Amino acid sequence: MGNTILEVVNLKTHFVQRSGLFSTLRGQERIIPAVDDISFYLKEHETLGLVGESGSGKTTVGRTILGLIPATSGRILFDGRDITALSPRDFRPLRKEMQMIFQDPDAALNPKMRIQAILKEAIGVHQDINGAQVDRKMGELLEQVNLKESKLTNFPHELSGGEKRRVGIARALAVGARFLVADEPTSALDVSIQAQVVNLLKDLQKNLGLSYLFISHDLRIVELVSHKVAVMYLGRIVEMGLTNRIAESPRHPYTHILWSSLVDKESREAPRTSSGGKLADWGVFDFERPYRGCRFAPRCPVYHARGRPEKCANPSTEPHLDDIAEAHKVACHFPL
Amino acid sequence: MTGAPILEIEDLRTYFFARSKQAFIRAVDGVDLRINRGETLGLVGESGSGKSITALSIMGLISAEPGVISGRMGFKTDGLQVNLLRGIKEYVHLARKDGRVMEVRKNCPGWEKQVERLMGAIRGKEISVIFQNPRSSLNPFIPIGKQITEAILLKGRIKNRREAKQRALYWLEQVKIDSPRLRFDSYPYGLSGGMCQRAMVAMALASEPSLLIADEPTTGLDATIQSKIVDLLQELKSAFTVTTMLISHDIAVIRRLSDSAAVMYGGMLMECGPADHILHVDHESKHPYTAALLASIPSEKHIKEKAYLQAIEGDVLDTINTPDGCRFYARCNRVTEGIREKCRYHEPDLREISPGHCVRCWLYFD
Repeated sequence: MGNTILEVVNLKTHFVQRSGLFSTLRGQERIIPAVDDISFYLKEHETLGLVGESGSGKTTVGRTILGLIPATSGRILFDGRDITALSPRDFRPLRKEMQMIFQDPDAALNPKMRIQAILKEAIGVHQDINGAQVDRKMGELLEQVNLKESKLTNFPHELSGGEKRRVGIARALAVGARFLVADEPTSALDVSIQAQVVNLLKDLQKNLGLSYLFISHDLRIVELVSHKVAVMYLGRIVEMGLTNRIAESPRHPYTHILWSSLVDKESREAPRTSSGGKLADWGVFDFERPYRGCRFAPRCPVYHARGRPEKCANPSTEPHLDDIAEAHKVACHFPL
Repeated sequence: MTGAPILEIEDLRTYFFARSKQAFIRAVDGVDLRINRGETLGLVGESGSGKSITALSIMGLISAEPGVISGRMGFKTDGLQVNLLRGIKEYVHLARKDGRVMEVRKNCPGWEKQVERLMGAIRGKEISVIFQNPRSSLNPFIPIGKQITEAILLKGRIKNRREAKQRALYWLEQVKIDSPRLRFDSYPYGLSGGMCQRAMVAMALASEPSLLIADEPTTGLDATIQSKIVDLLQELKSAFTVTTMLISHDIAVIRRLSDSAAVMYGGMLMECGPADHILHVDHESKHPYTAALLASIPSEKHIKEKAYLQAIEGDVLDTINTPDGCRFYARCNRVTEGIREKCRYHEPDLREISPGHCVRCWLYFD
């Protein structure tokens, strides 16, 4: 595998929630640590899958990397260059290299523009090229994402979900990006269309050598496309490693629950009646519940099974993401 | 466990007239369905196959001006027996010219009055719905507890507001919302997606309906929450024997919850029968569409080998220009030379190939 294209070091993105003028004046602001000290790297031609429940900070990571949300602290290195604190103007040339496929294609495409105009705008925005070149580039793009030329004159609402997704991908490729943040690219698609999009993303990676940060809560799809997986919980990465290792022998209790919660594990013996007692007392997580020490402890079956050890609930001993095996990191005091 | 049919749909057709194209969009095109008491029927299909429109037709929610419904929907519970589409056709007049429909004239107020007359005692009382997006179907200005109380009062069995509130709390407990007393006064924005969905389920069940229609109840939720909601539905199913029509494009969900299943494509049923018969990969005799749908789900094998998925090429059928032959012909990969002609020009009908298992495909009959 190639060079490291992206490196994230101790990244933090905190949001401040103000509940009103007076509370602000009194200094009663609430900090929401959406992304709280995470580090990872991504190599060229590789896909890193980022999984976790909604609210775990996956999307915020993607957006922070692309500079859409300012980072609170930490460093983001793209091609070895620190891009954390770049001004919007200095960031502009980098947009050619890194792009995003947005979650909701309906919201991401301008409903008043024809597909042609949408793509043309994307092609023209970072490079100075003439009409004939634009047309050629457009033809190339259509071919890459496997979209019919007849669709160019349509408006987004006339396209099906899969086609809109393709336009979104084509637009990201229009500027010649090497690194894509794919935020839930297959959510809200039918299985048949989802398969088309996944195949397309894999093809593009093979042909153009793209690197993806693949954000999804669909574990099957993540397993299928990613080389490495990072599991996020409440703004932290709790486990990271090679995909098959994580899927087959997860060490963090959270990862274990996540993978065993797949509705259908395809084993025909899977009980139809119940998914087992593991999830039974699995509460709902939120930032509001105060946590001390390991943030997963309140929901952790191991923590409860071991009689709530001091270590897990002590703020000074929050577990760190440590190597547990080769290319496998876990943040847990009692890995499975 | 299954009993007499609660809902019998015969030849349901829901068309929308597209004025710009001077043609009908045949969203639902001749569907026959039957749901027995205590049974869960799973309706599968890609988006645009007419699943949701089928549900909306049952609820009498096709109010859009160009919408036209025909067919028969017999709904039967204790002391109640109605055809939910009775007399509804009279309010629609088709203006034809040269044998083609040029315009649909609809007496909208009359139509709506008739629908209200038919559905007044049924909607929200005998038939409840859980919609796809819980957050947008709950009223953002009213605390969830109050919304559930309203549903109970609407049903009319409980008149006392305090009693209704107790009942609402009971249902919040039943759907396992933690600290229900606290959540009773929460607004939908303060709840997570999973909790909103639970509140929806509570609201739908609070009126103790004879039939529950769940339209994509797990779509858009996290994997962990999804499996929790599925578990919840399963528990409720066995605890209260609710007759359910479950609509989903997630085959795994249908497989877990349904007794029988129906596969829709292009507004038609392609296959129907017992769920574990139809939706298992190993079973042979199946409609090519069902088989292709099943094959496009990533399997263990795909994941191990990082293989390409088997996509169904092409897109969902547009139901304006329906082909003469089989609706799935253009995307079908199992057409053999022997039947190609038939597939192309003649539409197969839904025929029984084994007891209770019907398929609409030329492969299985000669």
